[in-house]
Formats: sequence, C-alpha cells, structure tokens
Amino acid sequence: MSQVLLFNVFNGLIVGAFYALMALGLSLILNLSGVINFAHGGFLALGAYLAYTLLPHVGFWGALIIAPVLTAILGLIAERILIRPLYGRDPLYSLLLTFGLAYVLEDVSRYIWGAQSVPFSIPSWLTTPLSSQFFFLTGYRIFMVLLVGIAVAGLFIILNKTRLGMRIRAGTLDLETVSVLGVNVRILRNLNFGLGIYLAGLAGVLAAGMLGLQPTIGTSLIMPSFVAIIVGGLGSLPGTLLGGLLIGVASGVTTVYFPSATEAVMYVMMGLVLLVRPRGLLGEEGRVQ
Amino acid sequence: MTKKVELDLSPTRRRFIKAAAAGAALQMTGPFLISARGEQPVKIGIDDCLTGTYAAVGKNEVIGATLAVEQMNKKGGILGRPVELVTEDSTSGDAGTAVQKARKLIDRDGCDFLLGNVNSALTLAMADVAYEKKKIMVATGGHTDAVTGAKCHYNVFRICNTTQMEANAVAPALIKNAGKKWYFITPDYAFGHTLQSGLEKAGGKLGMQKVGGDLTPLGTTDFSSYLIKAQAAGPDVIVILVQGDDMINCLKQAVQFGLEKKVHLAGAQQELEPLLGLPPEARIGTWVFEWYWNQPNVPHVKEFNAAIKAKTGHMPTARTWFGFAAAHACALGANAAKSVDALKVAKALQNFKLPPEVALMPGVPYFRAGQNQLIPNQWVGHAIAKGSGGPEDLFHVDEVVKVGEAAGTLEESECKMQWPS
Repeated sequence: MSQVLLFNVFNGLIVGAFYALMALGLSLILNLSGVINFAHGGFLALGAYLAYTLLPHVGFWGALIIAPVLTAILGLIAERILIRPLYGRDPLYSLLLTFGLAYVLEDVSRYIWGAQSVPFSIPSWLTTPLSSQFFFLTGYRIFMVLLVGIAVAGLFIILNKTRLGMRIRAGTLDLETVSVLGVNVRILRNLNFGLGIYLAGLAGVLAAGMLGLQPTIGTSLIMPSFVAIIVGGLGSLPGTLLGGLLIGVASGVTTVYFPSATEAVMYVMMGLVLLVRPRGLLGEEGRVQ
Repeated sequence: MTKKVELDLSPTRRRFIKAAAAGAALQMTGPFLISARGEQPVKIGIDDCLTGTYAAVGKNEVIGATLAVEQMNKKGGILGRPVELVTEDSTSGDAGTAVQKARKLIDRDGCDFLLGNVNSALTLAMADVAYEKKKIMVATGGHTDAVTGAKCHYNVFRICNTTQMEANAVAPALIKNAGKKWYFITPDYAFGHTLQSGLEKAGGKLGMQKVGGDLTPLGTTDFSSYLIKAQAAGPDVIVILVQGDDMINCLKQAVQFGLEKKVHLAGAQQELEPLLGLPPEARIGTWVFEWYWNQPNVPHVKEFNAAIKAKTGHMPTARTWFGFAAAHACALGANAAKSVDALKVAKALQNFKLPPEVALMPGVPYFRAGQNQLIPNQWVGHAIAKGSGGPEDLFHVDEVVKVGEAAGTLEESECKMQWPS
C-alpha cells in the first residue's frame, strides 16, 4: 500500500504540473484584465486540434511549436474584437461573453473536426516507460513536466526581467497609475491575453498526447484550473503553480483510499481554503475585500 | 484630449466566486431546439446525449433514427400519416434536463413515441416520464438491467442489450483469452454498477477471482492513479468498463504506460466510436460488440451501410443501428396495432420479431414478452489496429453469440410487468 501511495504522490505531481500550466494562463489574464476567461478550455481544444491538423505535415515537434503560436494569434484577435469593449464594466459581462465564446469555440471545433474523437499519436519512443517498476514515468510525462518547468521559468523571466513583464506586474497592482504614466494599456492587455492563450494552446497539445481528442477536451480540464487558482491564491502566479500541484497530489492520494471521490476532493480542498484562508495559500491580502 | 481611465478592475476573491457561481448556474440550462409543428404527422421524439462525453455516440443514434424516419415516410409513414422526428439534447449526465426535455417532447410537441438515451441513468428517468404520460418509449442505448428488469414498464421497450446479457456473452472469452484474476475500472453510475455486477456473476460461475476494482466519476480524464492501483493488485486482466471518451483516455494512458505488456487490457462493451478515436497501438483487447457493420453475407446490411455513409461519410456503428431499429420499432408496433395508443402498441410488440431489413443481423431478434427486451445476436472478438475492410474495420469477430444464447431467462431479469386494467 505504501508503494502505491508513493507512486500516486509522484503521479499526482505530474498531473498537477499539467493543471498548473493551464491555470497559469488563466491566472495571467485574470490578474491583469480582471477577465475570468471561461473560453480558456475552448482555446485549449483549438490548440490541440491545430496540432492534430499540422501533425502529418510538420511532425509532433513542429506542431508543438507552431500550434500554440497560432492559438495565441487567435487569442489576440478575440481579445481585440470581443473582450476589449467590455473592459471597465462589471466582470460579469466578460464572464458571460467568454462563457458564450467557450460554446462557440467548442462548436467550431465540432464543425471542423467532428464530434467523434480523433486519434492523436505521439512519437513512440516518448511513450516508453523509464523502468518497469516506475511504469507511470513515461518519457512523455517527464517531457511534459520539463516543458511546464520551462514555461513557468520563461514566464517568471518575462515578468521579472523584461519591460513588458514589469508593466504587466505593475498593471496587475494598479492599472490606472500605469496608464497615467504613459503605458499603452490596451496593447499591454492584448499581449498579456495572447501570452495566456499561448499557455492554453501549449496545454492543449500536451493534453492531446495523453487524452482522447474531442471538442470537449478543454471543458473537462478547466474546472481543476479554476480550483488551482483559488487554492493557490488569487493574484499569485507561484500560488497558482502550488495550487495545481496540490490538487494533483490530493486527487492521486484519494484514489488510493476513496477512488470515487478523486474529483470531489479538489472541491473539498477549495472549500476548506476559502473557509480557513480565503485569500488562498499564497494570495495577496490586499486583494480580499 | 481626454483619456478614459478604467477604474477598480482588480479581481477580487468575492467577485471571482460570484462570477464563477453565475457561470455554473448558466451551465445548468441547456439550449432549446424549437421545431415547427406540422399538419397532422405522427411525431417521434428523441431525447439523447448531443453534448458532453457521450455526444458522438448520441448523435449516431439520432442519425440512425433519422434514416429510419426517412424510410418510413417513403413507405407511407405510420397509419398513413407522415412521420416527424423531433430532436432534443438531454446532455450526457443531467437527469433533470433529460426529464425536462422528455416532458417537453410529449406535452408541448405532442410526440406519440419517445426514444433515447445513451446514458442508463437518463434512460431510467425518461422511462418514468413515458410511463406517467402513457406513451411508448423505445430505449436506444442505456444498458443498465433495470430498464427491462426490476423497473420495467409495459410501455418501455429496449433495443440495446442489458449489461447482464453483455456480461454473459463476453465472460467466457475473457477467462479464456485473459485469465481468471480480474481488476475492474468501472464508471460510477447505474450502467457501470450493473455491468460490473453482471460480470462478477457471469465470471464467478467460470472461476473468476476479483482482485480489486475502482469506481471512477463520469468524465474522468486522468486514469493514471487508477492504473497504478490496478497494476499493484496483480491481476491477469484490467477489465475496463468505462465508455466513450473515458474509455479512450483510460486505454490510451494504459498503453502509454506499457501495461498491455504486463497484463491484459480488455472489457465488456466496446464500440466503434472509441476505437476510431484511439491511436492504432491502443486498439487492443477482448470485447463484445452489439452490432457490427462488416457482415458481408447478411441481407440489407450493405444498403444500410451505404445509406449511412452517404449521410455521414462514415460506416454505421452499433449506436446508429440502435436509433434506426428503435424508430422502426415504433412504426412496426403502431402499424401492427393500427393505433398509436401505448397499450395497444405495447401488446402488439410482445414477442414481435424484427423483419430482416430492420434486424440487419443473422437470425430473428425479437422483443421478449413480459420484459420488452430485444433479444439479438452479439459479436465477441478483439480490437485491431486496422482490418481488411477499410479504415473503419477495427474489430475482428471471433464468435457470433446467437439470439438467446446469452440472454438469461425472463425470471432472471427480475421484471414483474404490470399491465393497466
């Protein structure tokens, strides 16, 4: 039993890293623009399907590079046309818009690629387990964790070392002052949204390698991402990462003792965090009203 | 020049939760499909999964029913009246929506017949509505035993197998091909529970030993933690009973872990839809199909395949046939009873034999009297990466289990039919 438990803790970290990747994109957009992007799952599905379409032409690695960029471009366009007019209004407006957009994106995927799942293959050497005992540590999953690590590191470098990142961070704290200081807030928000959607596209390609690829692939992954943000703390990217890892491990451990509650445990965790520490584990105090 | 300054946009926990709650509430409501009223057609309402995890299979049932209605109308309809199919989305797991749509189909659209549903729990809920409203329901694809078992109704018929029938058909092949020590991965709702207990019963008679099992929530994406547990229990075979997209996720991950080299990966019910969505290396295992398109010597199958291919570009699946046979059963029953009255149609359909152009299989499948369950053939075999019949030939039939061989007895079904006086 202890070995199964240990395996599930490790495995939970891998799964959690994936949740974190998706949640980071959501969190970026939420922090700067105050938009709760329900369409994130739709963009994730688009990223996955674009990779599926590109796969025969450019191979898995080419698709992994190109598909998230194309998804990000679609994200930039969506922000410019649909979301920008709603800044400054109650967040409920943008929530309703992205909620509708999620359905539109799902139906667009269904219209183009069909309701039926499509087979998405990854290079066979990536699916080989590293050892017979640790069979759940396949090359693909380790690669995925590495990629999440690189994406997170890249994000932290962008946010902390570049002018764009500094503006995003400053805007997160006080958008009005940043605007008064001469920063073009519109472009800032646009690029930030694109960056968030890039992460959704990347998560989509990675998810398609592990899961069945169908139009609802994003819907099933979006709720754990929201939970990761709440558990980790609104406004904190390290918190989002921690939240993702924690819910992954919690689900894994629950499988050992009470398998039918693996999903419910995430929401129980969220409830507990909201009761005991409403700002989340690493959330900033000033954000709680 | 003035510039609009946007104030107080910082997200707050309270706002975020309020907005998320509003979003969740919105998800509870489904889209309505409004259909026009015809002159005096006989209406068949189909309330099936068009969104969610069972969307692909649900749509195939609707496509089958649509073809059947087209064929009926070419042959004079039902009792000389044209037939109209009214479609509603039940969602894949929300019984409340399924019931609301079933009531809408009967009360507002005036449907005389009700078809559906892929999901067993939703099928049971709809059957109660049909019973209350005194309308004939032909269940298309919800397999749980109770529909034509403990909760049977005189006016509710079923095309797809019961889970016990599937278990009876596949258990000997599982023991023979995979071994006696079984670990179950089972979806946590009516269908999964009864399929597992059916397999435990059928396998138990053959010396099966259950070494463990997990119930997984419908819509599970990550099966890795369950697979770790299953492998640690040391089974001969991991019996995968999850369906639809869950089946794809589970098999794909199991094969990526190389588990097929250590234990057998197999199950009971398998369908063409998930096999098509799997990468070729994950199309493995012993399974039972309830209907298969590649039956070269069976009359009318070729025409049926061609008609569906013309509509969809794909071969029909078992689901397409369920929808097709269910819609035809309504017309056959009504024409035999010379009425659309539920009691008269139900009586006409007792022991009713499906004609070859609807049965589309060898032998003569029939609705068993006193239970209203169709007793058909079953196809036991194994999944293949690619067959000789084209890109959608993904199943090799090892054995055709003939009509009645795996059906059990009427007493075993636990149906105690009550007829209205």
